[in-house]
Parts: sequence; C-alpha cells; structure tokens
Amino acid sequence: MIVGFFLRGKQVEAVYNEGLLWQSIITGFSLVMGVVSIVRVHWRKLTARNDGAWYSAVLLLCFVVMAGFGVLQGTGRGTRYDAIFNSIQAPMMSTMFSMLAFFIASAAYRAFRARTVPSLILLVTAVIVMLGRIPMGQFISDDLPTWVNWIMTVPNVAVQRGILIGAALGGASMSLRIFVGIERTYLGQ
Amino acid sequence: MSKPRTTIWDRLQHIDRRVLYTLIFVSVIVPVFLPLSLPTAVSPESQAFFDAVDALPAGGNVMFAFDFWPSTTAETEPLAVATLRHCFQKDLHVIGLSNVGMGGPSIADRILHDIGDEYGKRYGEDYINLGYKAGYQAVLLGMATGIGNIFPTDHNGTRLDALPLARRVTSYDSIQFVVVITDNIMVDYWISLVNAQSGVPMAAGVTAVVAPKALSYVQSGQYKGLLGGMKGAAEYEHLLNSPDKASRGMDSQSLIHLLIIAFVAMGNLGYVVTRRRDAGPPRDRG
Amino acid sequence: MHAGIIQNGRLNAFIFLLVFSVAILWFIRRVTSGEKLYVRPLPGLNAIDEAVGRATEMGRVVLFIPGTGDLDNIQTIAGLSILGRVAHLTARYQTPLRVPVLYPMPMAAAQETVRQAYLDEGQSDRVHPETVQYIAGDSFSYSARIGGMMVREKPAAAIYMGQFAAESLLMAEMGQVAGAIQIAGTAEPEQMPFFIAACDYTLLGEELYAADAYLSGRPSLLGSLRGQDIVKLLIVIVVIAGALSVSLGIGHDFWENILSAK
Repeated sequence: MIVGFFLRGKQVEAVYNEGLLWQSIITGFSLVMGVVSIVRVHWRKLTARNDGAWYSAVLLLCFVVMAGFGVLQGTGRGTRYDAIFNSIQAPMMSTMFSMLAFFIASAAYRAFRARTVPSLILLVTAVIVMLGRIPMGQFISDDLPTWVNWIMTVPNVAVQRGILIGAALGGASMSLRIFVGIERTYLGQ
Repeated sequence: MSKPRTTIWDRLQHIDRRVLYTLIFVSVIVPVFLPLSLPTAVSPESQAFFDAVDALPAGGNVMFAFDFWPSTTAETEPLAVATLRHCFQKDLHVIGLSNVGMGGPSIADRILHDIGDEYGKRYGEDYINLGYKAGYQAVLLGMATGIGNIFPTDHNGTRLDALPLARRVTSYDSIQFVVVITDNIMVDYWISLVNAQSGVPMAAGVTAVVAPKALSYVQSGQYKGLLGGMKGAAEYEHLLNSPDKASRGMDSQSLIHLLIIAFVAMGNLGYVVTRRRDAGPPRDRG
Repeated sequence: MHAGIIQNGRLNAFIFLLVFSVAILWFIRRVTSGEKLYVRPLPGLNAIDEAVGRATEMGRVVLFIPGTGDLDNIQTIAGLSILGRVAHLTARYQTPLRVPVLYPMPMAAAQETVRQAYLDEGQSDRVHPETVQYIAGDSFSYSARIGGMMVREKPAAAIYMGQFAAESLLMAEMGQVAGAIQIAGTAEPEQMPFFIAACDYTLLGEELYAADAYLSGRPSLLGSLRGQDIVKLLIVIVVIAGALSVSLGIGHDFWENILSAK
C-alpha cells in the first residue's frame, strides 16, 4: 500500500486497487467474526447459568429477531428491521449520549476551580466561549462572538495542530516499530 | 475537638449533583413549551460553508457522507437536513453514502427520501444512496478509481448501472463537492484520503466536540467551511431562512450554558472565600 | 530511481518518510549500543504503580479499559502494550483485574497479553476467565456496561488507555462517583479535555505511544522516542522558518511547493 501511494505504473496501481478490495473484504469478515464471538460468549453464559445469564438470553433473542428480520425482509426503508432500529436502538443510543449533558455539567462544576493562574485562564476562556456560543451572549456584548472566534481560530487551532502533529508522529513511530518487529507487546510478548 | 461549622461557602463547593441534574433537565424541557426565539449570529466558518455550496452550479454533483452514529443525531441530523435542503434548493445531484455500519445507511435513506420528497426529487435521477461498505479506508481510496468498484449496487441492491445518476458519476472526477457530516475520526480521513489525494473540495458539519479540531482544516483551506454542532445547524437554517429543530434547540442550549456558568461561578465563589478564611489573618513577623 | 515512476506531488512526502524512518532506526541503533537517554517523568505512568497498590490494599478490582477502537487502531495497540505492564503488577500483587473490550480481535490480543504477563510472574493459574470480558455492541452500550461495573464492583483504580469517543466522559464520571483513582491516556484531541476534567492523571497525545517505552525501559523503544523528538524538532524549525519568511513576504511559493502533497 505504501509503494502504491508513492509509485505509479499500471502494475503498481493494479496491485494497490486489488489490495483495497481485499481490505474491504477482510473487514467484512471481521464483522462476521464479531457475530460468532458474541453468540459463543453469551451462549456459554446462558448454558452455564451464571449470574446474569438471563441478560445473555435477552441478547441472543434480540440477535435472532433482528438478524431474522434483516435476512428475510431486508434492511431498507419500511421493513421491520428498520422500524425496530429506529424506534428502539437509535433512541437508546441517543439517550446514552444525552447523559453527557449532565456529566459535562458536573465535571465542569467540579473541575473549573481557579486554583492556579493557568486554571483561572482556562476558567475565564471557557466562560467567554460558552457565552459567545449562545445567542444570549450578544446581549452582553456585540464583540463577544468576535472574541470567541479569535479564541477558537488562533490559540485553539495552534494547540490542536501541535497535538495532532505530535500524536501523528507518535503513531507513525509506533507503526514503524510494529513493521520492523520491535514492538510486540500487544501480542503478549 | 468540635467539628468545624459548614458554612454556605463550603456548601457552594459541594452542591449535590442531583440538584444540578434536575436544573439541567428543567432547562432542557422548559424551552420546548416556552420557546425563547433567540436571534442567531452566523460564524465566518458557517458562512463559508454556505457560500461554497451556494457557488456550485445547478446540476452539479455532490457526494454527501452521512458518517455519524445514531447516538449523535440530535446534533448531526439537523446539520445533514439543513445542508441537504440547500443542495436540493440549488438543484444539485446528491450521491449519499455512509461509513458507519450501525444505522448510518438507514439514517441516510430516511433523510434523503424525506428531504427529497419535500423538493420533488426523484431517486435514481436526482439522488442515490450507495449505502455502507466495510473498511472506510478502502472505500474512500477505492472510489478515486471507480465508485462502482466499491459499490456495485446501491443501498437497496439495485445495480448502479441501472441508475441514471450513477451512470454519470463514476469517480471523484465527476464530483464537484463533498459534504461530510460526521461525529468521529472520519473528519480526518476524508481530508487525508480524499481531499489530499484527489483534490475534491469539501466542507464538514461536525458535533461541537469535534469542531475545535476540525477548525485547523478550515484554516488551511482543506475544508471550505465548517458547521459546529447544533449551533452550526441553527446558523445554516438561519442562512436558508428555514428555522427548524436546531434553531428551536438553541433555546435549551442557551439556558444550559448559563446554568453551567452560574454553577461554576458559585463553586469558585465558595472556593475563594473559604481559601481566604482558611489562610487566616496575616502573621506578625516581628 | 526514474523520476517518472514517482507520483506527482508526493516526492516531498517520500523524503519526509525516509528522514523519519532513518531517524527512528538510527537512534534505536545508538541506544541499543549503549547510549544513555534521559526521559522526562510522566506522572500518569508513575501513578499506575500507585493505583494498583491502592487496589491491592483495598482488596478491590483494577479496571483497565483499552479504548473503544479495533485492533487496526494504533491507539488500541498502545493501550494493550500498557495492559501488559499493568497485568504484570496485578499478577505480582494478586490484585483482581478486569479488562472489558469492545471488539473480538482486541479481546484475543488482551487475553494473550494478560495470560503471558501472569505466566511471567508465575501466576498462570490465577488468570480468571472473566478477566477479559467481551462486550459487543456500540461504544455507548459498552460504556453503560462499564458504568454498571463501576457501581457494582467499585474498582479502586480505573485505567483508560486507547482511542475513545464521546463515551469517555460517561465512563470517567461514573468512575469519579465510584471513588476510583483514574488514569487516562488518549491521542484524541477532542476527548482529552474530558479526561483532564474527570481523571486524576492524563497522558496526552504521543505520551500514550511513549508509555510502553517509558514503562519497559527497553533501549529499542527509548531510541525510537529520541528519533521521534528529533523529527519533531525539524518540523518546529521548518514551521518557524516558514512562518517568518511568509510573514516577511518572501518565499511563499517555495514553501507551498515543498510542503503541499497531492
């Protein structure tokens, strides 16, 4: 893939495109592996009658129902699969996400204490940005959106770029170590 | 030794989280019944997004990526709806797809059909939904050489060569613009795998959490514009003169922001007063 | 090499890749040959020992979360590397360890990592079948399950190392409520503020990737850190030189040509 990125030529491009197709196929099979694993794990829990075995029963039942509807009727608009997903799964996922609103509030209340000068700067900046991002901020000052825009596009972007570059270099270094076989701890070695 | 008295300043630093959560809940619910109808100021990045789509000629082809999970639809669906409305208003042809397996194609299907019906658009001629294929890197890179190589059929199983729009749009060379609506790392991959390698101009609508990172791509010109969270969607609705869910949602968001600021202020007030109290009077050095 | 076979506009990226690889491999060679290196202390990594010790004293569980990414994600691999070190400690002190994972391939890797660590410490019979738990679904169901574990088992230490998305704050706040000492590490810029607000120690960005080198002290890994830092220094020099010259109105086209890649 790296060679295909840098070099050109019909043979190189053919191998590169073939590699992309196979990556897609292999990723698809890894989803199958996930399904097999989940069924195995929960079937084992159910048959062993461990604590919480009935949760495994519920999971397996839901799996059979959804998979059955998906295979027999398809997953397009108007199918039972789509209806169940949109009326049960999607709202449940949104509900979990909505809990973040509460947790962000409690985390901000606990963490935004002006214990040191940097934390005071953080606190003031956060308040300015929070006010500037809502319509009511304009009632306080017409310049507030401008200050917020400066904070987001100058110091924020500078820091984000620094973190992105550092993280990218770290990731590339780790990838190189894996390529040459120096990094093997994830294999248990 | 007697227990030190707990004053109001100590209690301000340790307000029960249930009180906070209850007030948050009230702040979300009340504006649903009593809308505040607050004005919307448009940020430069949102304006740039709007201008980029507005500049596209009628009949142009736009690839529309619904790369968000069902969990974030409160923020991302208004972004998708507002930008898709603009595309259909401009008579642009939309090629939809999703790189999120769970729910992505279904959400894409629903939004495309709902908004398409609003504007009298026909599936297959004015818009199509390619659906989902596993392996987003292979998908994004592979479409450069041929969309049909990655998606032989659309989301409904119809062969692409049976769809008039798909016969005209075969790779990124036939795409004039890409709209990426996402809540995850796809905001980086569209830049590195598509914009950097194929040069297709694009703009992104992201959740508010992802927006600070995505701003660096706007500054470098890799994204032509950026919509951040529900506020970005509300700004776009304002630019389209069609206020919808996002504009209504800004009322709740405004109250919650003010509530959080108030609680942070109370906590800090208690902290400052108790710190001075605990430091005691200045000691005599003489 | 014939210039015509290199893709247009990518020669600069190729040169960068070459410089980067040579720097990493060069410093790995130097450090493995005996050169001593100073690595600045990372409080988050030093706290891992403290966290496991706390869990041992309290007789409670250490919860290790290797992120919500799959094994093709480099952050997951970094997280699993740190899991190896944590598993060595929990094996040595006989502290219960729980590792919930979201995908099957990280589960297999985590099982192997934990098994090997316990074997190295002579505690292979103490590997509990429930140590590595496979929790499938999406990241929010995963975080709901983690929240349940926090409430029921009240871990004394919660260690988050890997890629995280929006569920990071859900887990970290629940850990706060449970009273666990929390150490986090991620390279996702948008999740770092949440971990900083909710956790006791946080590793930012590349500190996560450096963790294995730091904890193991292996010369080959330390050498790669040095090489990485040298490349970063070169980038800083280029950024400063470019910003200064473009601000003075000279060399804009030059920098545009050498830095943009198609």
